[in-house]
Amino acid sequence: MLYDLRRADVRIKWLVTALLATLGLSYVFGALMVALYAGFTPQHVAATYAGPEMAMPMPPETTVVVQHPMSMTDFDKPELHVVDTDLLIQDTHVHVPMYGIIAAALSVVVIGLSLSRRLSLGLIALLFAAPWFDFAGMWLTKFASPRFAIVTLAGGWAMAAGYVIVAVLAVHQMWLSKERT
Amino acid sequence: MKLIMSAATLAALLHITPVVVLVKRPDAVRTLLPGADAFTAREVHLSDADAHRLHEAVDWSPEDGVLTFYTGSAGSTAVGGLVFVRVDTPHGPLEVAVGFTPQGTVRGAIVTKATVEMKPWVLEAVGAGLGDPYRGLKPGAAPDAATAIASRAGNLAVYVAREVDKGVARALASYGAFYDHVRT
Repeated sequence: MLYDLRRADVRIKWLVTALLATLGLSYVFGALMVALYAGFTPQHVAATYAGPEMAMPMPPETTVVVQHPMSMTDFDKPELHVVDTDLLIQDTHVHVPMYGIIAAALSVVVIGLSLSRRLSLGLIALLFAAPWFDFAGMWLTKFASPRFAIVTLAGGWAMAAGYVIVAVLAVHQMWLSKERT
Repeated sequence: MKLIMSAATLAALLHITPVVVLVKRPDAVRTLLPGADAFTAREVHLSDADAHRLHEAVDWSPEDGVLTFYTGSAGSTAVGGLVFVRVDTPHGPLEVAVGFTPQGTVRGAIVTKATVEMKPWVLEAVGAGLGDPYRGLKPGAAPDAATAIASRAGNLAVYVAREVDKGVARALASYGAFYDHVRT
């Protein structure tokens, strides 16, 4: 195949390297954002996306008041970040197209790597499937069961794994491999 | 290319920036309930009819149909009440803490949270005296800090003030109707 990153012009290699570095930076901050707002455990993810909508308490027939004492430290407790349906629609609308473009960009890099056809197809499938799992998990957690939080976590880790695999292979084949020119 | 640029611009416009804490809740409590050393959370679970009444009055319903007031006291002396109100804007949510005196007038209002995008607008509005016009308001009054600061603040700060006005109006309506008019 004509498109082979090992033997590509140095300008192409530099472009791919810069792309991978930029995506890597965005992934690092993406992970930090997940840590801030959703967490990395199934319990945290379930609480973020299932939220109070899973309980759906019925309004009382007459307005009632419940009182309980609290201390100043109670005001300082970290609040749970809850993603409601409206926000999840917006997140899906904004993020999924971007994930698609990132997966396509990384897939173009995969095509230029010296890999078996089967491995290339598998990597491309992983790059596109990961965001699907990520968002499918969020929607299923909200509307089916909090247990689906694990799907979101799997999707997130799969995105990270896909990026790391492509980045390591690309950098190795472009700059370190003996077969490069 | 034009289509791609338009789509990118639209995506950027639709993307709500993250929420940041401008004033920590304990600090807002200390300011709005000065000297209080004991607190009670008073959760008012609204019936459908009351929730509808509140919605008709201020075009707003509290999250999950629950209004949470915080009362503060120093020893046996009541210091006042406090409520945190969320205002959803096209630029993301704001949180406004509104404190009341034991007589039921507004002691003060503080913007505790805003999005990264709105933060400078909030700071400009606060610098222009956003909190001043709210002091002394009673339930039934119409807050209008936006007009009060219009001559000394930019358009975006005035825009934020208008959103904060909504928050204070919601707090006034909630406090007037439900703070101590419902049996526990």
